Amino acid sequence: MSGVILAVDDSASMRQMVRFTLEGAGYKVIQANDGVEALELARTSGADLVLTDVNMPRMDGLTLVRELRALDTYKYVPMLVLTTESGQDTKMRGKQAGATGWIVKPFNPEQLLATIARVLQ
Amino acid sequence: MSMTAESQGLNQGTNKGASPAAAAATFSPELQIANMLGLCEAQMESALQDSDKAVDALVQAFTCLVDTSRSVKSLTEQLPAEYRESVSAGLNQQVEAITKQMASAVIAFQFYDKLTQRLGHVRYSLSTLSLFVCDRTQTANPDQWRRLMNTLRRLYRTEEERQIFQSMMDGMADEPTVKVAALKEETVAGAQVGEIELF
Repeated sequence: MSGVILAVDDSASMRQMVRFTLEGAGYKVIQANDGVEALELARTSGADLVLTDVNMPRMDGLTLVRELRALDTYKYVPMLVLTTESGQDTKMRGKQAGATGWIVKPFNPEQLLATIARVLQ
Repeated sequence: MSMTAESQGLNQGTNKGASPAAAAATFSPELQIANMLGLCEAQMESALQDSDKAVDALVQAFTCLVDTSRSVKSLTEQLPAEYRESVSAGLNQQVEAITKQMASAVIAFQFYDKLTQRLGHVRYSLSTLSLFVCDRTQTANPDQWRRLMNTLRRLYRTEEERQIFQSMMDGMADEPTVKVAALKEETVAGAQVGEIELF
């Protein structure tokens, strides 16, 4: 597998878990601590997919998705939300913001990789 | 939000340096409750800080294991042809077994993240309740209690938290610990696999 994935989470251990999983499958992973950092990183380095948490300081994941979708370069880039939030309302807000899919934590590494491969096709 | 009884000047009721008369003058059940809630919050914060350090160390150790196992795999692939057949199969089997264990560890580590988030909500609830009980105009008003409950309900992010909240609200005096234990059995089993939905 190849491609650059922007992983956004305010938990360092979560970012590590995502990194192990994705790098093990051959992806390059760039990481951000919150939405503000992610937006900056997304503008300066291109990402083929964005994987973001929802509840983060400074800028939450749904705002990040909305902001990225407003950029020409990220209009069609897959954006997956990885969160503990499982409520239908929040999911719907994610869909309206422009998210490609919703993954509830804890993720299963194999399933996460299969989902990423599918949306990157 | 982090709040301690001390930061609100709520320790007057148990002031170590205060005279018995002064302590009695400032005593109120509300201040005692606020102090107790502040104590619970402080204990929780301290325990979380300790466990954060332990988990950080575990994550570091796990990172090394992951890197080592990947190096072993890569070395196996570079073995000269004469060794590849005899050594490679056995090593590949071992590396595969390690990879499977790592996938389980990745899932288990994520439960700690979830736990931290849930305990953060408990801490916030304790802080909010601590402020609330000190205001008699609020505690005497059933609508204010309902508002407080709604505030706490909105904190919850996971299905488990919502279910426990609902279960407790449905029958608070009806053996809550038994109910929660039964619920926990269901939710832990259900929480093993995170749902995936593509829009």
